[in-house]
Amino acid sequence: MKHLASLLFAVMIMVALPSSGHAQGDKFLDIQEIQTDSGIEVWLVEDRTLPIIAMSYAFKGAGSSQDAPEDQGLTIMASSTMDEGAGEYDAQSFQKTLSDNNISISFGSDRDNFTGYLKTLTKHKDLAFDLLHIALTEPRFEEEALDRMRASHTARIRSSLSDPEWKAARILNDVAFEGHPYAQNSGGTISGLAGVTAEKLRTKVLPRLAKDNLMIAVTGDITAEELKAEIDEAFAGLPETAQLKEVPDLTIQNAGTITVYEQDIPQTVIRATQDAIGRDDPRYYPAKVMNYILGGGGFGSRLMDVIREQRGLTYGIYTGMSEMDHLASLTLSTSTKNESIAELLSLAEQEFARMRTEPVSADELSRAQSYLTGSLPLSLSSTDRIAGLMLSLQLEDLPADYLDSYDEKINAVTAEDILSVAKDLLKEEALAIILVGKPESITADKTVTELPNVE
Amino acid sequence: MRILLALLFVVLSLPAAAQDSAAPAREKVFNAEHFTLENGMQVVLVPNHRAPVITHMVWYGVGAADEKRGQSGIAHFVEHLMFKGTDNIPPGEFSTRIKAMGGNDNAFTAQDITAYFQSISSDRLETVMEMEADRMTNLIFPPEDVESEKQVVLEERRQRTENDPRGYFFEQMNAIVFPNHPYANPVIGWLHETEALTRENVMAFYKEWYAPNNAILVVSGDVTMDKLRPLAERIYGSIPAREVPDHNWTAVPPLKATQKLIFADPSIQQPMLSRVFRVPSENQNKEESLALEVLASVMGDGQSARMYRSLVAEQKLASGISFSYSGSARSDGTLRITANPAEGVEMDTLEAAIDDQLRALVSGGVKDAELNEAKTRLIDAAVFARDSLQGPAMIFGYGLSTGSSIDDIEYWPYNISQVTAEQVQAVAAKYLDPDNFGDRPYTTGYLLPKAPPATEQIEETAE
Repeated sequence: MKHLASLLFAVMIMVALPSSGHAQGDKFLDIQEIQTDSGIEVWLVEDRTLPIIAMSYAFKGAGSSQDAPEDQGLTIMASSTMDEGAGEYDAQSFQKTLSDNNISISFGSDRDNFTGYLKTLTKHKDLAFDLLHIALTEPRFEEEALDRMRASHTARIRSSLSDPEWKAARILNDVAFEGHPYAQNSGGTISGLAGVTAEKLRTKVLPRLAKDNLMIAVTGDITAEELKAEIDEAFAGLPETAQLKEVPDLTIQNAGTITVYEQDIPQTVIRATQDAIGRDDPRYYPAKVMNYILGGGGFGSRLMDVIREQRGLTYGIYTGMSEMDHLASLTLSTSTKNESIAELLSLAEQEFARMRTEPVSADELSRAQSYLTGSLPLSLSSTDRIAGLMLSLQLEDLPADYLDSYDEKINAVTAEDILSVAKDLLKEEALAIILVGKPESITADKTVTELPNVE
Repeated sequence: MRILLALLFVVLSLPAAAQDSAAPAREKVFNAEHFTLENGMQVVLVPNHRAPVITHMVWYGVGAADEKRGQSGIAHFVEHLMFKGTDNIPPGEFSTRIKAMGGNDNAFTAQDITAYFQSISSDRLETVMEMEADRMTNLIFPPEDVESEKQVVLEERRQRTENDPRGYFFEQMNAIVFPNHPYANPVIGWLHETEALTRENVMAFYKEWYAPNNAILVVSGDVTMDKLRPLAERIYGSIPAREVPDHNWTAVPPLKATQKLIFADPSIQQPMLSRVFRVPSENQNKEESLALEVLASVMGDGQSARMYRSLVAEQKLASGISFSYSGSARSDGTLRITANPAEGVEMDTLEAAIDDQLRALVSGGVKDAELNEAKTRLIDAAVFARDSLQGPAMIFGYGLSTGSSIDDIEYWPYNISQVTAEQVQAVAAKYLDPDNFGDRPYTTGYLLPKAPPATEQIEETAE
């Protein structure tokens, strides 16, 4: 009987599977792994559809977790001032050259990585890569630009203080990552931003950007040979080895607690997070499918169905699995009017409990598998997205042909696998819960009145 | 070394570049194909064969501006209810089915339009067309779903507007920019009116406006017209046309006083200034609209544009500023300036400096170099617009729904290249002169930190 069921089930998957548009044996994405003369590795997808070149790159481990607690904002200031004057260009002429030639060069950062992005029309590619080179190696960090960007970031933080969703995210990071560099404010604190100097940027951020932690993904109208030359020129002069301090791994802190930040607004914002698993864990794919069925899928997920569709308690409820370098987590985000908060939390808990006690139905499983495999080609619709997809593979240390076997891994997941991983992961009292608003009928374990790591 | 050469090249080639931008070939951007079904439904295809995927959109020529008085929020509420079932697809099943085929779907409502879309593998096109056509006429409005979905919409309003004073601020700014005009009402609806909407109200609105002759099909992606045309004829072409009301909107009358909204709230820590001008949309005046596009690029496009350079980089009066023109509207367009004052700078100092920039534009116009740089930026941006699946579908859907023609969209870069410095200065003088606003006064809003008790007031100052 069990055998028959699984056979039937296999047929259902076949029927529901959308054709992914590429013949069997074809590569999902034709990635060329190339090495430049100076030894830099680059992934390239040539695409002549449009006269555009897009490049996403990252310096792994060089993100804001490297900032000292008193220097929160140092990394984001580096990412916003490296394109504010470099080499012979002052800020004004650098920005004007970018703008007049429709070249995008920007830098960014998250907790783990320092990232960069370049997009240009083919006709301006030499200029674009040249400008990148001097931004990376000869940023001016002039006082005027530092003050201007500091003012802009300070205004961004002060503007966010009327946004309860921003506050909930800020408190969640503080509570769930307590005692770890991840608890810091990656967007900076007002005092941290005030203390940023050109000297600090040069001595504490630039040495993190080196050839040995650089990963590059390029898509568009350029050949491998042309690209090699551009890359060697753009990234020449970087140090060979990045200077990075060790960041420890962590698990979710304050699990099983509710933290409330009281504010007189009609709706309470909810953020909750718990430990999950990463891609190196054999239970990763079952967990990914489980998350989709529970709340990752938006419409059609259990949480959305029970809490929005059946009861009208929220505009949206989602769960997401995230994998950072030192933590894998599952996060729940939603909101509801203050008087419904206890009801919503109780319904969400029931769905977590149902997931860990009953197997998902064959129909739920096949729908989830169909979405997770069938939606993959949607990520190939622009040069940006293709470059971004490749870079995410590199950052997770996955092979270039990883996506070719992705369908297989998702389709191998069974309801039993999901039940087993749900039992391990979705334990009672695993969530650290943050509420911002005026939640009714809730007993808080902790009340926060001052936002952490803002001033 | 190449840098220096490149710089030299840029400088030397400016006159040539200027010439290029002044007269690019009159070429189409998207090479869209189109035809109209016998029932009046327009069909547009933007081919894009990069990946085996499509975006399928249906745009209805009805939005919040078409709501009857007292029924604000109904267009958006109907959009939600389009997911609540027909005889063929049970309530809540629509998106679930799309997802089970590996697709994403959603919908959105604006003042002028309501649109529904799916992005999905191209071999699912026929199925999504059938599903979309089904809900064009067969919605069932189950009473219990209508009630629970109203609660969802009210939660959406709390989330978007009521939980953050900035939401209230922009909602109320809009209400005073458009006196006697339906754009004054928020798309999400005023709370007391949306709460009171009934099942009969929403059914009547749907029956009145949802018809093939009031809809445009836009498909972008990996499909040919040979394949799309017969599908559209069979699936959408079989739905009979029905009479649809006109857009009988009242207009903003000539006004004499500028308006100032001051909103102070204890949770605001960063003051913000908002200035809104009512200006022609593309539908109302194509030539002026193109000039306004170029004007907005000169003033607001990036850090080397006038507003940022002057107010942020040089005078240090603002920590950030935006200047943007929105010309896709059936009725009036808007030009919006939003700025954060630098620390210690008073709002009226910042406002005066903004006015000075507008005066300089009105009296001095734009330099040839600025004009040509802006035109080149806008023209090159059209290439980037093609680098997307959903982007071109949005451009055609919004444009065609608000009065643009296919050619207006296809030849936009060429049309931009024809804009002259005189035209830019003329629209500046006509619509943006702070000292001579004629009968189109502007509106200024201050969002301020506040010690309690909170106050809200509207000051009106005579010209």
